Amino acid sequence: MRGIAGQARPGSILVLTGPNGSGKSTLLQILAGLIRPTRGEVRYLDGDGEVPREEWRHRIGMAAPALALYEELTAMENLEFCARVRGLEVDGDRLRNGLVAVGLDPDRPTVVGGFSTGMQQRLKLAQAVLHDPDVLLLDEPGANLDPDGQDWLAEFVRGMAEEGRTVVVATNDRDEMTWGTDRVALPG
Amino acid sequence: MWRFLGETMAVFAKDMRCEFRTRVAFNSLALFAVTTLAAVSYTIGPYGIAEADRPYLLGALLWIVVFFAAMAGLDRSFVKEEETHTAPLLRLAARPLVVWGGKLLFNTVTLALLMAILVPLYVVLMGLSVRTPGWFILVLAAGCLALAVTTTIVAAIVARAMSRGALFAVLSVPLLLPLLVFLIQGTRAAIEGRVPDVLAALRAVVSLGGVMTVASAFLFPVVWHD
Repeated sequence: MRGIAGQARPGSILVLTGPNGSGKSTLLQILAGLIRPTRGEVRYLDGDGEVPREEWRHRIGMAAPALALYEELTAMENLEFCARVRGLEVDGDRLRNGLVAVGLDPDRPTVVGGFSTGMQQRLKLAQAVLHDPDVLLLDEPGANLDPDGQDWLAEFVRGMAEEGRTVVVATNDRDEMTWGTDRVALPG
Repeated sequence: MWRFLGETMAVFAKDMRCEFRTRVAFNSLALFAVTTLAAVSYTIGPYGIAEADRPYLLGALLWIVVFFAAMAGLDRSFVKEEETHTAPLLRLAARPLVVWGGKLLFNTVTLALLMAILVPLYVVLMGLSVRTPGWFILVLAAGCLALAVTTTIVAAIVARAMSRGALFAVLSVPLLLPLLVFLIQGTRAAIEGRVPDVLAALRAVVSLGGVMTVASAFLFPVVWHD
């Protein structure tokens, strides 16, 4: 990828599009700090100035195929682990509400390895917003969801933006492309 | 500090919970240790070594069994995160030192559990008589910690490489060889009841383990993110 520059503001939905292999997922991973770019930089700004890199994990939430969940754990155990490792207060009600908000049953005893891909996708969204991030990065968020799930997802993402979060979505889905007020098309 | 410990314990508890549900690392370690111990006790047994040679050879054989068992399973904690693609989530959510601390704790407990089962069996099957059991246990505990520290950082390094299994052993051997030499010397001295020699060996083991701990703490964030 070369020559990519831009900025996304709080409350906006930025949609990244482009053919397979154009680097949408890679760009999202760079934005999340998972991959260091060979050149260039990513900066997050808030009212106090630039957010230090070690703070990014508190400010960014991400759901992507590259971020797998622990298949040996249940949905509640996955969320509880994410909360503990992020240093959040582990509140059972908050975790349960997080699962209910994405349409999952918090009392389901099945481990995530037994979930459908759509249910795993919903759980990924729940872990992505668990710490109330300012920036939400979503890679092909509706890829494994049924039509009702995709409608729910559109509302969910719009709701996130309306609450003031910056949402960046990488997608090739025509419906998902309409979510955004801003769109960046990566060259193939 | 308490927050750091809480986050570290979260990584450790998650690893233990996953391991108890799959038992991949536990089974690898136990299978290798029991097979090696059975082969050694069957071919040598309590009477296959002259009385005078026993302390040295039995001490060396014990650490060889522990070393190869460690090589068989202690890389799993990091390799599994990469193979199952859960490592990016961990990179995104956790501080690097928290991950290192949790994995180190997991490897230490796994190795301690293995040694708690293996060493009594070894003592019985090989007819090992220890003159200073307290010092013997102290050498084992120091060895367990130092082995866990070294294998944890090596596992982190090799987890993202191809041919992980071979690389884990290749990179571990030069780092563990001096440690094993001192552990064997300390074990021999404890078996023979030579406390000053045990202390000298323990000092060397603690020093090597300490150096490796400090080096790992500085190296791990780079290894984990790059």
